[in-house]
Amino acid sequence: MGVGEVVAEFGGVYVSSLLSTWLMTIVCFAGGLALGVLVTIMRVSPIKPLRVVGDFYVQVFRNIPTISLLVIFVYALPYLGLLLDYRTCLIVCIILVVASFASENFMSGINAIGVGQIEAARSVGLSFSQIVRLIVIPQALRTTVLPMTNLLIATLLTTAIGSQVPLTPPELTGMVNYVNARSVAGISAFVVSAICYAGTALLLGFLGNKLDKKVRIVR
Amino acid sequence: MAAKSTAIIQMHHVDKHYGELHVLQDINLDVQKGEVVVLIGPSGSGKSTLCRTINRLETIDSGEILFEGKPLPQEGKELAAYRAEIGMVFQSFNLFAHKTILDNVTLGPREVLGTPKEEAEKEAMDLLARVGVAEQAHKVPAQLSGGQQQRVAIARSLAMHPKAMLFDEPTSALDPEMINEVLEVMVGLAKEGMTMVVVTHEMNFARRVSNRVVFMADGQIMEEGAPDEFFDHPKTERAKDFLDSIRGH
Repeated sequence: MGVGEVVAEFGGVYVSSLLSTWLMTIVCFAGGLALGVLVTIMRVSPIKPLRVVGDFYVQVFRNIPTISLLVIFVYALPYLGLLLDYRTCLIVCIILVVASFASENFMSGINAIGVGQIEAARSVGLSFSQIVRLIVIPQALRTTVLPMTNLLIATLLTTAIGSQVPLTPPELTGMVNYVNARSVAGISAFVVSAICYAGTALLLGFLGNKLDKKVRIVR
Repeated sequence: MAAKSTAIIQMHHVDKHYGELHVLQDINLDVQKGEVVVLIGPSGSGKSTLCRTINRLETIDSGEILFEGKPLPQEGKELAAYRAEIGMVFQSFNLFAHKTILDNVTLGPREVLGTPKEEAEKEAMDLLARVGVAEQAHKVPAQLSGGQQQRVAIARSLAMHPKAMLFDEPTSALDPEMINEVLEVMVGLAKEGMTMVVVTHEMNFARRVSNRVVFMADGQIMEEGAPDEFFDHPKTERAKDFLDSIRGH
């Protein structure tokens, strides 16, 4: 079966699997960013136990393959009485990992701010939480657009581990199994999925560059 | 302790170490309301550190610092509220890089004092006009010259209606032709009766504007006095050597 035939026969299902991948990417990335901000605030807080917990979090989830985490979630958690559906397991695992990388990006963005501006903010009378909210987070976000774009693309590609659990609709990689179970498309099914991934990643890279040019802080 | 003092800032037996280094040694200094005190001395003498202890950007090991007769708050909300009453101008300007000039000036009043946006912006524009950078209000800091940025930093401090202002080498990072535009703003403040503690190497400013010169070396206050007296008749060898070295040959 050629690529053309695969598209002709499974085009509609491919569209829904592409949308499934996109939706998971958005949810995982947004959740990862939010959790990453939280972890980062812990890591820069004046309270030492919070800093330790934040650093520990990053060391744990940055250094475990997401697929291993997924296996633990799917097979081990039910023994602890926690039974989550497959999609939830997948999304939570990816969020946990993305948050650790997002936090590392934020930390480098924060380090670029420089202690002078923080001292100036303290001198004006701003509290720790005001400094974080008004000075640190906006600047860290705006200086990390490019690394965050890379992380977004990595998140997109990581959702491929969704092929290891049954999902309805499947995401792009699981779609390959779906097609090959119903026909003999072979490599052509992979090619269609790969084109969808690459096209999405190129678009994200392009948008990331544009956004970076727009919000980058001139120093 | 002596009977009621009118000093707005009082430092009593203040000591501070950086590891082995004794950066502040038994510092005693009173600053009266409306007084302009200039701290001078060789680099590493502790003058910047002293200046920064007054709004507790540097903590002290022992001794006490009083503002309006009350010990400085240690931390938290009280410390933030205290800092809001003291203006601070840094060597490297430290404007908020992601905010416009106008937003740099209105941030404190709006977030700390709760001033409504319109009122804060109106006052900020007046202050920016006063320091001569009103046309730059909608630019970001990186688009301004160093001298302009430092004048904005002064306006940002003034917007908080400070009871005293600290200047930590405000002209040391500036190109020579920009030094005067910043000093002129400071002269204006002094004339209006602002209480100022200024760390500087600008001897003409010290002589012309200050009420008192404090000379520091090796973490100690070596001598202090009226500017003319200090510059013309320094009492200590260290001060004589220092003045000779900066006057050149």
